[in-house]
Amino acid sequence: MFMSDYNIAIEVDARGSFCPGPMMELIKAIRQAEVGEFLSLLSSEPGTRNDVPAWITKAKHDLVEVIYEDGYDRYIVKKLH
Amino acid sequence: MQRVVIVGGGFSGINVANKIAMKTKRKDVSIILIEPREDTVYEPFYLYWSFRKDPLKKFHAPIRKVLKKGVQHIPATATKIDTKIKSVELSNGETILYDYLVIATGARMAEEKVGAYDKDNVHHFYLTQATAELQEALRNFNGGTVVISPSTVPYKCPPAPMEFAFMVDRYLRKRKIRDKSTIKFLYPLLRPYPEPRVAEKIQKLYDKRGIEFVEFFNFENVDKENNKIISLEGDEIEYDLLVLIPPHEGHKVIIEAGLGDREGFVPTDRFTLKVKDHDNIYAIGDCTNLPVSKSGAVSHFSAPTVAKNLILEMDGKEPTERYNGFTICFVVTSPRRSLLLFFSYAYPPKKFGLHNLFIYGLVKKAFKIVYFKAILKGYL
Repeated sequence: MFMSDYNIAIEVDARGSFCPGPMMELIKAIRQAEVGEFLSLLSSEPGTRNDVPAWITKAKHDLVEVIYEDGYDRYIVKKLH
Repeated sequence: MQRVVIVGGGFSGINVANKIAMKTKRKDVSIILIEPREDTVYEPFYLYWSFRKDPLKKFHAPIRKVLKKGVQHIPATATKIDTKIKSVELSNGETILYDYLVIATGARMAEEKVGAYDKDNVHHFYLTQATAELQEALRNFNGGTVVISPSTVPYKCPPAPMEFAFMVDRYLRKRKIRDKSTIKFLYPLLRPYPEPRVAEKIQKLYDKRGIEFVEFFNFENVDKENNKIISLEGDEIEYDLLVLIPPHEGHKVIIEAGLGDREGFVPTDRFTLKVKDHDNIYAIGDCTNLPVSKSGAVSHFSAPTVAKNLILEMDGKEPTERYNGFTICFVVTSPRRSLLLFFSYAYPPKKFGLHNLFIYGLVKKAFKIVYFKAILKGYL
């Protein structure tokens, strides 16, 4: 899918931030979002590739897609509950 | 004569005030420090004070004794900052005009947001009175489950809750009730510390000491009736004694002045330490939104940048000094052991020593003296 296919409610740009910055920004955004909304997290921290999928599984949300951009990753997350 | 007003007289405010006083002439610059408290507190001592009843004077000092000549302390609270007319209103009714303002208000401990602290079994060690109550609770504790958790991120001194787990382990062993007790450390991440290599060492030490680590626990609320702490992820953990780091946020005076972000922290240029969109205002310490830890070490290493840039500006020059995010972090793993970490904006923790008794000695025995005699006074 393309980015434009998602109706992103909150985009968090955590590029340049070290762990745990991106993870904590995502968690803050999840708290703010409504159930069913899509969020986008931008991270250049390599550790995020491991941490975000693990947290999404634990928290029972949906990691819809990871898009590998130039120098950073874009995580598309759907809040499920 | 130019006037520098510093709002907040914790470590950051005092340190910057003294540094400016040391580098300027009293006839040229008036330095005013606004802080309601008469005493300054060596906050790292709270961790130890939780377990032993030392007198307050062991980690408190009168502000008047640590301020350089040329710094005027006004014992009042800043109630309003007006950035248009460049003034600060005080709780004593005075209004003070400034040429340059330094915001050093620290973070507010938003205990009311948890709504669970009491004198019984929900405590923290981030304020003097709260730590005194925790002391009492620990003395009355005769076995059960001790749960330690942050409530939000960021909070002051990132390793402090993890250190508390090590300290409570030793305390309970000393009292010979460790076998009747469980210690659980809850943390928002997958590992007990953000940096993986450090986390691995800490996990090994936790395993050795029987401290249970609970991953991905993002605090949601406390069920007081059933003595349970509940996470965003849906986990519920029972406690007999809960040590919950209070939420941190910006002070009301910052928020009302429109100088805060959504959590009330001051958007600050990470290199110049100037407040965003305000040419004559700087911010330092826990009140900022800098992407580094909230700690005294960050204040210490960034204070020269604030002082030098302010002095350059007062001399009509460009503020060219830059803070590179460098800081250090001591992680106490027992009363006799520690780790030492180095960070900056450019790299995550890259060096560390484990179980270094020299560092322990430096921190524990000498550092408090150096803090009051040299660091706070702006010599180092």
